[in-house]
Amino acid sequence: MSSVEITALRKLYGDVVALSDINISIPSGSFYTLLGPSGCGKTTLLRTIAGFHRQDAGSIEVAGSPIEDLPAYRRDVGMVFQDYAIFPHLSVRDNVAFGLRQRKVASAEIARRVEAVLKTVQLSQFIDRMPHELSGGQQQRVGLARAIVIEPKVLLMDEPLSNLDAKLRVDLRAELRRIQRELGITTIYVTHDQEEALAMSDTVCVMHGGVIQQASSPLEIYMEPANRFVASFVGANNFLAVTRTGASAALASGGVDLSGELAGTSGDVVAAVRPEALRVTAGRDEADAGGLAVPARLREVSFVGREMEVFGTTEGGEELKAVARPDPAIVDLHPGSEVTFRAPRSDLLFFEAGASGRRVA
Amino acid sequence: MTARPLRSRLDFWTVVTGLVLVLLAILLILPILRVLMLSFVDADTGGFTFGNYVEAFTRNYYLNGFKNTLFVGVMGTLGASLLGIPLAFFTARFHVRGRTWISTLAILVLVAPPFIGAYAWIMMLGSNGFITNFFEALGISIPTIYGAHGIILVFTLKFFPFVFLMTQTALNAVSKSFEDAAENLGCTPWQRFRKITLPLVFPAISTGAIICFVLSIADFGTPAILGRGFRTLSTIAYAAYRSELGGLPTMAVTISIIMMAISMLALVAQRRILARRRYASSLTNLPVKVRLTGWRNVAMHLFCHGVVLIAMLPTIVVVYTSFLDTNGPVFTGGFGLESYRRILDDAPTAIANSFLFAFAAVVLITAVSALVSYVIVRRETAAAGSIDFLMMVPYLVPGVVMAIGFVTTFRSGSFNLIGTAGLLILIYFIRRLPYGVRSTTSSLRQIKPSLEEAAVNLGAPPLKAFLKVTIPLIVPGLVVGSLMSFITAINELSSTLIIYDSGTITMPVRIYLAVLDGEFGIAAALSTVLLLCTGVCVYAVFRFADNRDSAFV
Repeated sequence: MSSVEITALRKLYGDVVALSDINISIPSGSFYTLLGPSGCGKTTLLRTIAGFHRQDAGSIEVAGSPIEDLPAYRRDVGMVFQDYAIFPHLSVRDNVAFGLRQRKVASAEIARRVEAVLKTVQLSQFIDRMPHELSGGQQQRVGLARAIVIEPKVLLMDEPLSNLDAKLRVDLRAELRRIQRELGITTIYVTHDQEEALAMSDTVCVMHGGVIQQASSPLEIYMEPANRFVASFVGANNFLAVTRTGASAALASGGVDLSGELAGTSGDVVAAVRPEALRVTAGRDEADAGGLAVPARLREVSFVGREMEVFGTTEGGEELKAVARPDPAIVDLHPGSEVTFRAPRSDLLFFEAGASGRRVA
Repeated sequence: MTARPLRSRLDFWTVVTGLVLVLLAILLILPILRVLMLSFVDADTGGFTFGNYVEAFTRNYYLNGFKNTLFVGVMGTLGASLLGIPLAFFTARFHVRGRTWISTLAILVLVAPPFIGAYAWIMMLGSNGFITNFFEALGISIPTIYGAHGIILVFTLKFFPFVFLMTQTALNAVSKSFEDAAENLGCTPWQRFRKITLPLVFPAISTGAIICFVLSIADFGTPAILGRGFRTLSTIAYAAYRSELGGLPTMAVTISIIMMAISMLALVAQRRILARRRYASSLTNLPVKVRLTGWRNVAMHLFCHGVVLIAMLPTIVVVYTSFLDTNGPVFTGGFGLESYRRILDDAPTAIANSFLFAFAAVVLITAVSALVSYVIVRRETAAAGSIDFLMMVPYLVPGVVMAIGFVTTFRSGSFNLIGTAGLLILIYFIRRLPYGVRSTTSSLRQIKPSLEEAAVNLGAPPLKAFLKVTIPLIVPGLVVGSLMSFITAINELSSTLIIYDSGTITMPVRIYLAVLDGEFGIAAALSTVLLLCTGVCVYAVFRFADNRDSAFV
């Protein structure tokens, strides 16, 4: 098993920076996920590691030896493709054996390893099927078997579940993780699905505009986002303006004093609070000592069973969303009614103003 | 950060791209440039001159040829469109009995040797044609086939399948929702056709028409056989080349350049018109066919079957004639295999050569088109783009032009680089390569690139990934492309006529010479042999192609 070390990696397409100074360190056996919106550079990074793109600068080391100058066919990194890429003219057996034959493995050994890996991905009975006789989920299992049977140093997965339906996605997600743990294989996984990223990964690396925004454990990504982009991309967030007068600072809506929280900071900041941290009460209430209260007008309540989603607009025009346990007193309110959004002060995070402002407190 | 020197690697496909460019430079660009340069050379002094062009545009002999070429080209295209568009519309939108039969006949007309039509019409409507004689016996004198109207008739009946097949394919891809929406917004069926359907299939119609036009301009056999004093640029270029033998063929190449310029201008004009008309089609709602009744139904069937039957007449006449008993050039009445016996005695070399040259060219075409297609489809480099563009050029260069270019570049006097047979194989190769590339390219576009990436990722070097994954998946495209290039190579006349010598004569040349000599029996028997192997190839294409009709245009 092998660690991966990426240093100062850069990739340009003409004037467009696809990857900007990427530094990543992945311990051996770990499940590392690249997460971001489309066009953020995650797939470019994965394909550069696989050798399908050539970097403009920087190095990629696997188990201590550089691979960035090797052609793709000599990199020894397994890859699972979004569209499965199962060779349609070869049977399941021949698909899985392809990489082993390429490596001149003895045929008895090939037979043994193909059968073993198909058992791992629970496809033993399909060994002589042709790809068109398999469902999407089964094809992707073949894709996984084909990639891991060569015992690659690193396994790369490019949105492997995104072409499957929702139920199958969740099942296969757990199975992928189980197999990865069993084999202890270092894995780099690309997805735009944050739930998938949080559920599967040891480390989630959020990317945006070819730049790494934050690489941390799933819990830390969610609870302690490093900047405003991560805070808004992973999970939902409400952003509220903060006004400063001299040394004191307060929420623009509701006027809750934040001088304590923002002591020692300067410049324009915004406060962020997760929808699930907010509670909603009818009418206008005073703030209680430990928390904030933001007066707003109700825009819409949608009751979705397990919870209710409450949308409101502050006097300053800021949009707020709360996700809370259903409360008949709120669900029955008419749009335009006065409500108050409440949260404990400790649930507030602060970021520099601007789309990807850094966390300040 | 210290800058790392990027190790430059010549990967496999970069090398292939380079080799393909070199090949095209030698076999395509060089001969055309050579023709272009020669057109600015004074034949007597060898110096630079515009005189050839001045002569071409001032002397009546050439000017008339120019006008004649445009005239038969435009009228032939118009005629082909007038037959092809209604035929396409009927078969795509109404229940027509024998639809498959109609499109099969149209395809046979399309691939039949181009010059067969001309001389078969002579046998029917020539000064001694059986239809002419039939009417004469009744005391009615009908105009003969010779001259402009005959050429236009042959072009119309020969080239309408291009318009028909392309328009039909486009009509089948117009979502019914568009037409439903038009009707819902208040259009009558005729308004709907004029305002919605016709504009949507216009790109296909114009592409079909432009193919007709380019082929009409370049056609040599038809005006050569039916012209009788009515000269077009291709017959003038050929005559000029013959009379300039020994000297520099400057007038022949000047005329050639003018022919090419007409084709290219027509194509550029069509592209400019089409540039603003790109329609994305999402085919969710297939068009439905309406059942006509009463006299409309009868009239429609008469038209559809009538058109393809009349277009097939020359072929039928040729096959029929080949089984008539002859004594020398004279038909003696009754049936017999005399003509076939004579071609075996008389033209075994031509038959052997035709198959040998076409087969050799197709082997090259198959190998090269697999590589070229990969470069065009998978590589997004400027070099790949220019190869894609160059693949259009052979369509636009008339055979006479290409042949003169080849001869003046690769053979002069005693200097004969690769022998005449080699020259013919290479000219078939370069002229028919686009057929192979086109079919292979469309096959390859349906293969996801991730399949090749997966093979590479599993340890296969690029060439091995190509051989083990790509090639097996594009076999149908390769087969169809090879068959198409074989059909067009074995029927090639105009280039061969310029290049051939007694040892390298081919069937089409032998047929052409036999027709000039009035040896219709030999011509018919040889043509039937050509038709037979063309028919076998067409059947094979039907078996391999995804869409049997669109594989041919």
